[in-house]
Amino acid sequence: MASESDRLLIQQLRNGEERAWEIFIARYEGRLLAYVNRRLRDRAASEDVVQETFLGFRNSLPNYDEKRELQTYLFSIASYKLTDYLRKVGRHPLQHVDGNSDILNQQLDVQKAASSAARSSERKALESDAVARSLTALLDQWRHAGEFVRVKILELLFVKGWANRDVAKFLGVSEQHVANTRFAAVKKISEHIRDAGLPADVFPELREEPS
Amino acid sequence: MSKIVTTHMLECYLDETLTDAELARVEQELRHSPTLREQLRQIIKDQDRGEHSVGAVWRRQHLTCLSRDQLRNYLLGVLDAGENDFVAFHLQTIGCAFCMANLADLQAQQKGTDAETKQRRKRFLQSSTGIVQPPKKKK
Repeated sequence: MASESDRLLIQQLRNGEERAWEIFIARYEGRLLAYVNRRLRDRAASEDVVQETFLGFRNSLPNYDEKRELQTYLFSIASYKLTDYLRKVGRHPLQHVDGNSDILNQQLDVQKAASSAARSSERKALESDAVARSLTALLDQWRHAGEFVRVKILELLFVKGWANRDVAKFLGVSEQHVANTRFAAVKKISEHIRDAGLPADVFPELREEPS
Repeated sequence: MSKIVTTHMLECYLDETLTDAELARVEQELRHSPTLREQLRQIIKDQDRGEHSVGAVWRRQHLTCLSRDQLRNYLLGVLDAGENDFVAFHLQTIGCAFCMANLADLQAQQKGTDAETKQRRKRFLQSSTGIVQPPKKKK
């Protein structure tokens, strides 16, 4: 969800207020430039990509959904423009696979939209929301209790895909503690998904035995 | 942890959660390994077909991403030890590209808005929006 301040800014941009564009650019150009430059390591090229990002945003402004966080939306556009740039200059790893960029283009679609998917995007969104809600509740509970080690354990397991033993070794905790943390999270997420009337087994982490 | 580029690392590559060292390794391996490129293509196909994972949801919904206030306080060194440690972990171990970009931006802001930044913003404004600022009147 866009912040109140961003929502107001979007309204002003849609009303064509020039000052709003100045504020918008001043608010977001720094983080976008840092994001792009981390990949390109070329300041001039990075500025070009950020410029393209702002153009892309301006063109998509009528369709921007304020339920999406503005920063996330801008990073998505920047990511698309960045990959497009890498492809143009021959620096993208899938550049020379077989000359067929269809798959890459699908991946690059900012809206991640229309797929001839086996499961509908609406269904996928429902499943994602259920997982996100249950995880957020769990993570908030741990953060408020100052149990950051448990948050780290889950982030390494799920986000980075590390094995239990590697997580335990890295964080200096027992494998049992890691396994218990994983078990608590899997139980909570699975319950939440079932309560929402959705199948938990579409998520590999909820059906696999931990390594 | 492994030196091998795993499927999970390729997913992180697509979702921008690799440290600088991991990113360099994955890109290098992708350039040299047709098998790995095929694996990446397959992941993209699977995602397009509607496959997802808890990890993907976490990464894409930025569940542990840091707020600008948290990052600002991190730079000021005023977070409590547990939270400070977690912020460092998210940036350095997870390698979240979005939080690193915000951190870099805030670090630059701490130095103040210099003439170069003002010029750059002016260029963005003109080229992206077509808006040309009128010259300021001299007092």
